[in-house]
Amino acid sequence: MELSADYLREKLRQDLEAEHVEVEDTTLNRCATSFRVLVVSAKFEGKPLLQRHRLVNECLAEELPHIHAFEQKTLTPEQWTRQRQE
Amino acid sequence: MAAGAAEAAEAAVAVVEVGSARQFEELLRLKTKSLLVVHFWAPWAPQCVQMNDVMAELAKEHPHVSFVKLEAEAVPEVSEKYEISSVPTFLFFKNSQKVDRLDGAHAPELTKKVQRHVSSGSFPPSTNEHVKEDLNLRLKKLTHAAPCMLFMKGTPQEPRCGFSKQMVEILHKHNIQFSSFDIFSDEEVRQGLKTYSNWPTYPQLYVSGELIGGLDIIKELEASEELDTICPKAPKLEERLKVLTNKASVMLFMKGNKQEAKCGFSKQILEILNSTGVEYETFDILEDEEVRQGLKTFSNWPTYPQLYVRGDLVGGLDIVKELKDNGELLPILKGEN
Repeated sequence: MELSADYLREKLRQDLEAEHVEVEDTTLNRCATSFRVLVVSAKFEGKPLLQRHRLVNECLAEELPHIHAFEQKTLTPEQWTRQRQE
Repeated sequence: MAAGAAEAAEAAVAVVEVGSARQFEELLRLKTKSLLVVHFWAPWAPQCVQMNDVMAELAKEHPHVSFVKLEAEAVPEVSEKYEISSVPTFLFFKNSQKVDRLDGAHAPELTKKVQRHVSSGSFPPSTNEHVKEDLNLRLKKLTHAAPCMLFMKGTPQEPRCGFSKQMVEILHKHNIQFSSFDIFSDEEVRQGLKTYSNWPTYPQLYVSGELIGGLDIIKELEASEELDTICPKAPKLEERLKVLTNKASVMLFMKGNKQEAKCGFSKQILEILNSTGVEYETFDILEDEEVRQGLKTFSNWPTYPQLYVRGDLVGGLDIVKELKDNGELLPILKGEN
């Protein structure tokens, strides 16, 4: 089971056709494998937060059982653009 | 030094060490008028050394009680006679008869048992019938404590004999909902129930307070496919989860509870919920592996904490944080959607 930031980033980028993905390994802040991800994808458009998070959870279904603490933020490209302008 | 030696001598006298079966039998006869507590111990077991200290303290508090320690492996005749299979084990004797038993290093339980037997010893003999009635009432309550009650050695999680283990396996396989009583925890119940139900062995299974039987009978009922009709079934997991997620309008499944969160995410979500002032209840998934795993499938959500409003999943900490930042959390918690 590969659990690296690069591996997770690439998997999220491909499966969710993301235009931007950030994966931060937060393991050092905790005592077990931890990651924080930011995913920007048009697949999130028109979807409530719960469904967006489910898409990410499904993408990483095999990895999540081995990750102790997982944090995520999901944005549409429009939200991402607006956020960067602020 | 002299004072210290006197105290040490006094303590040594308070707890007698028995080194032979003959000495033990003599002590039983000699102490027939008072309570005799016997600690079956081994020098290699740290809990036994601790319990010897506990017993020394109890001996000071109860000068009329005789406390004895007996090295279990050094006096095998006595250990085998009383079926001592682990140390520490405590036996309680009155009138040369065994009246109670405590397996394991449970200092509070030992203290409680000594106190109970000391105070029960103050009953005049004429109240024996009264005591028996009290015991029968207690046994009736116990056998009716749940629709299906199993009296066993140990607990379903840690059965302490092969027959009790097999019984639990059968009940679990048939998804039977039952509560249990560890007969090792109470010698009075252990002996009393044999008379009460006219059944000499354990495990014993009761349904609606009626004795169904022991392991052999349960096996026969299983073979004849009657077991499922006699015993109450545990509700299906999905139904149970539906009930749990609707237990309160706002329901949080977390690690720990409101007083003590056991992981950072659960702690953070508690702080957010507390800041809203909305009433909510919690469920500690660390206490129930079935719920912990079942809810992941039930809600298609792989992590904890999980927040539900009126039975619907809201999400985990990240979602709750975003909802709070967007000002949407309070309306959702109040069910205004």
